[in-house]
Amino acid sequence: MLKLKHLVIYLSFIVGLLLLILPLPDWVWHYRPDWLALILIYWSMALPKYVGLWTALIIGLLADSLLGTLLGQHSLALVIITYLNLNLYQRIRVLSLVQQSVYVFGLLLINQIIVFWMDGVMGLTIPVQAVFVAPFIGALLWPFVFIILRDIRRKAMLN
Amino acid sequence: MTHLQKQARGATIQALLLISICIGMMFVDHRYNHLEVVRSNISLALSPLRYLVNLPELGSHWVSEWFKSHNELLNDNKTLQTRGRILNAQLQRMQVLQAENTRLRNLLSSSRKLTDEVIVAELLSVDQNPYRQLVEINKGTNDGVEIGQAIIDDFGVMGQVIHTNRFSSTIILISDPDHAIPVQFIRSGVRSVAFGNGNTDHLELRFLPATADIQIGDELVTSGLGGRFPTGYPVATVASISEDLAHGFLSVLAAPKARLDSSREVLVIKIGTFSKGE
Repeated sequence: MLKLKHLVIYLSFIVGLLLLILPLPDWVWHYRPDWLALILIYWSMALPKYVGLWTALIIGLLADSLLGTLLGQHSLALVIITYLNLNLYQRIRVLSLVQQSVYVFGLLLINQIIVFWMDGVMGLTIPVQAVFVAPFIGALLWPFVFIILRDIRRKAMLN
Repeated sequence: MTHLQKQARGATIQALLLISICIGMMFVDHRYNHLEVVRSNISLALSPLRYLVNLPELGSHWVSEWFKSHNELLNDNKTLQTRGRILNAQLQRMQVLQAENTRLRNLLSSSRKLTDEVIVAELLSVDQNPYRQLVEINKGTNDGVEIGQAIIDDFGVMGQVIHTNRFSSTIILISDPDHAIPVQFIRSGVRSVAFGNGNTDHLELRFLPATADIQIGDELVTSGLGGRFPTGYPVATVASISEDLAHGFLSVLAAPKARLDSSREVLVIKIGTFSKGE
């Protein structure tokens, strides 16, 4: 299971975790796309045999630990969108990048709503625009994420 | 059933299992402390990432130190020397007062030491959950930091430690919506609790009786009730008072003394050393 050529998958998730905690000015907070979700969507679409529900659970736990959220909060959201993605990826893979972006927006929105819902249960108030803007920016970035990760995957000869 | 159908059903069962694991974990993490070990270990494994992200900030700090001009350094030195002299003068008086205080406390047979032991720490610039007020510091259990210890900066109380691992700890600031700190007004001696509301500019004091003796500009210090925060550290200054006549309460907003959003160097106060001595 642990092969050298899978190293790029781990590296991409490490980059995602770094982007998650990279210090940025306060006003960017609400608009920061969920890089981990984007990377996870890509790999579970491209290599559903290697990257699946368990990966989603573990990545979510890492994110929860870094962000100081409840353990399981990001995991829950990522497991749910990965499950949806694993059921739909065969239909989505054939679409154009722009059409895929719309689909990714839907997944990111579900992800965001679950995370914020849990925050809400904890008694935190979340500005409404934050729910939509971050997934929207994530969807705009999807073509770039897709192309970059696809090139990396081909260089690493992962199929 | 075909092979594909079986596979799909397997995935669904697995997903449901993982979802229940997540919900279970959130419940346990919210209510109990059992998952603190898990969190601390994950956090330990990820601490290289935190230090890596902190590097650019550290680098820019270092570069700006390096390129400071000779004149600036001379100036700094001069101001620091003056400040040192003033502080020394104040300290002389302080020593007399402290001696007097100890003597009086001995007369009252009160068993409380005045000096607290501290650990100097620096904030790591990493972003956390934007809807909470959490920060990371670069000292962990290896340096003696423990959950529940109070954090102060040069000006007042900043918060307390909520998670630790070996090399870093997470601090909840007094302005976090989940945080409350027991306080006392210096002037009138009224005790209250200051709640954070997610805004670094002010804390809320709820449900003070309308007859309470409070004025704008009153200083708040930690009351030491509850046992988490040591007594007598400055917390905030009263900034506004509004009356809720219908319910007969005052609601007071107070501006925190500590620079919650800009302090980089902080002190961790070791609780064990202060509570009971002599």
